[in-house]
Amino acid sequence: MYGGGYIFSEPSDKDQKDHIDDPVKLQEFEARIDAGEKIEPHDWMPFEYRKQLIRLIEQHAHSEVIGALPEGTWITRAPGFKRKLVLIAKVQDEMGHAQLLYSAAETLGKSREAMINDLLSGKSKYSNVFNYPAKTWADVTVIGFLIDAAAIVNQVANAKGSYGPYCRALERICYEESFHLKQGHDAFIALAVGTKAQKDMLQDALNRWWRPIIHFFGPSDKASVHGEKLMRWKVKMASNDDMRNQFLDMYVPKILELGITIPDPNLKKNESTGRWEFSDPDWNEFKRVINGDGPCNAERLAVRKFAEESNRWVRNALLKQTMKQTIPYA
Amino acid sequence: MESVKDLILRMADDALIIGHRNSEWTGIGPMLEEDISFSSMAQDKIGHAQALYNILHEQFNMEVPDFIAFRRNASDFKSCQFVELPIGDYAFTLVRHYLFDHAESFRYNYLSNSTFLPLKSLATKFKGEIKYHTLHADIWMKSLTLNGNEESKLRIQSAVDELLPYAMGMFELGNYESDLIDNGIFVGELALQNKWHSFITESLNSFNIKVPVIKEGEIKLGGRRGYHLTELENLINEMTEVIRTDYTTEW
Amino acid sequence: MPNIESLDPRIRRIDLEKNPEHVVLNIMENWETYEVFHQRKRGEHHVHVGIVHAANPEMALVFAKEQYGRRLKCANMWVTQSSNIYSFHYDDEDMFETTPEKTYREAGGFKVRDKINKFKKENAPK
Repeated sequence: MYGGGYIFSEPSDKDQKDHIDDPVKLQEFEARIDAGEKIEPHDWMPFEYRKQLIRLIEQHAHSEVIGALPEGTWITRAPGFKRKLVLIAKVQDEMGHAQLLYSAAETLGKSREAMINDLLSGKSKYSNVFNYPAKTWADVTVIGFLIDAAAIVNQVANAKGSYGPYCRALERICYEESFHLKQGHDAFIALAVGTKAQKDMLQDALNRWWRPIIHFFGPSDKASVHGEKLMRWKVKMASNDDMRNQFLDMYVPKILELGITIPDPNLKKNESTGRWEFSDPDWNEFKRVINGDGPCNAERLAVRKFAEESNRWVRNALLKQTMKQTIPYA
Repeated sequence: MESVKDLILRMADDALIIGHRNSEWTGIGPMLEEDISFSSMAQDKIGHAQALYNILHEQFNMEVPDFIAFRRNASDFKSCQFVELPIGDYAFTLVRHYLFDHAESFRYNYLSNSTFLPLKSLATKFKGEIKYHTLHADIWMKSLTLNGNEESKLRIQSAVDELLPYAMGMFELGNYESDLIDNGIFVGELALQNKWHSFITESLNSFNIKVPVIKEGEIKLGGRRGYHLTELENLINEMTEVIRTDYTTEW
Repeated sequence: MPNIESLDPRIRRIDLEKNPEHVVLNIMENWETYEVFHQRKRGEHHVHVGIVHAANPEMALVFAKEQYGRRLKCANMWVTQSSNIYSFHYDDEDMFETTPEKTYREAGGFKVRDKINKFKKENAPK
């Protein structure tokens, strides 16, 4: 579901400092991208391109795995057959998306185990929104509608990127996301047009999720050589602000038409610039949460650690000395 | 047709409860691909329950599926205690899945000749799904025994030992056995149990798993008559936590 | 490990305190990868759709069915270990470039109609 547009930057690797890409190959590589062609797994690629792609796809995959947890909170309590089946199917899809994304990243030479280890150790990040709790059933509908909608804006952009396996995975993911968005909208509407208690519950959930939603796409991109390079290589396809603006354009009316209010008195579209304006969403909070100090960071990682550790015997039982590691082609 | 109602309710409650239990693994399974597969089967089971409740609604004027599933007390449920047990470790979950789905497979196979047409047609409809469920169970059982290590063999064996007395409870006789058999609706629990037992004995032996001998008195009965584990009550409380705040509205 | 009071009843049934400080997966713990080929319906080709991790080929099929077949229409699937795949290198893509020029191997490379028309025109009764 969810690739935050935000690429969390880590300090640059030591080996990268010494690395200089072959200028002739670099030129060919960039010409290919300029011509709108895709890069495939065994192609030559700049060191930095591979590194940033792995980071991007891996974070996207982790976001799916962790994103399964807040919604999973309500799997056993979903009200009625329809919601119960849909929620299980949706959380299942998140795991399916993680599988596709880890597979795409594996083609770049990082094993699934290494990626999971970086998630568990905190070295690799995931989308910030999943560090917030899903307190009531209404939270599930806000996540299913608005977080998925935000993710789609991001993923549709990324699907036009330059790396073949990531694009192929995203194509399939976007197809499934359209089901997620539809079901999320449906469940959101059910509460919005329901009883007063349902409507209050929904409003309360939206009030709590609004800031994380504004955070979702990350802070404004700083102009940098680095950022321009990633745009040129079609790793990053749109600026964080552009994606956020597109999201607000599409979804603010869909919230307001249901009589639900948005908890930001300063939110309005500046018709002359075409840009949405909103209150300062406290980017320090964003940074604090992404660095581990959010309401659910500890739980999310503890649950993943438990899932990996307590089921390790299953994986070990079937592990054979003769198994050999291969970088997949897809 | 109290006999058919009773049969369907037993089957539906079993499917709902085991589907609910198995969905507890969704998102936290042993590895991604298995998480996805197991989740699909949980959905299938809950879907089977819904379809069965729907027969009760359409043929017997009972309430709609949501009402039957989400508005009864534990004592009104006809599920066997076998499906009510908590999920345990993954060996426990897989062995229950294996024992339950082979029984389902034989049950629906018999029902595909039922004189009660709604059940007959469901049996045809579910055939493909159940085939996948038993295939999945068999491959896992074989992998963790014949191709597994000492730990996995031990875990599977102890899950079989623990679960078999409960599994036999699936075949607890109802009040209408002869009615079902005489009218060609269903072959009856006893015939099903025999078929299932000889299959799993041979199958488990082929995996080098011992099949414990269960004495009559050790079988965990009562579920079909409303005597349940306290875990069922907890499960129902949890399952209805949201919907019971207001049964009259749409969610 | 901080005290965690989860909102998820499934998680509350788990003892998170039992977690070791560091959980590190060993390489290959998710076994090997298999390439998955999906046939939409009889008569069509099997098409590559992705990979699954699995411990053996049978398990790979069981996983492929749900990961790649749960929404798509499907008649059949193949899997094979990724290590069984042989491929050209993209550096050798230029090998394929001559193909479009070899028009003598294409039906469109034969302009028979032109010749027939010319013949008919020449032999038309005056």
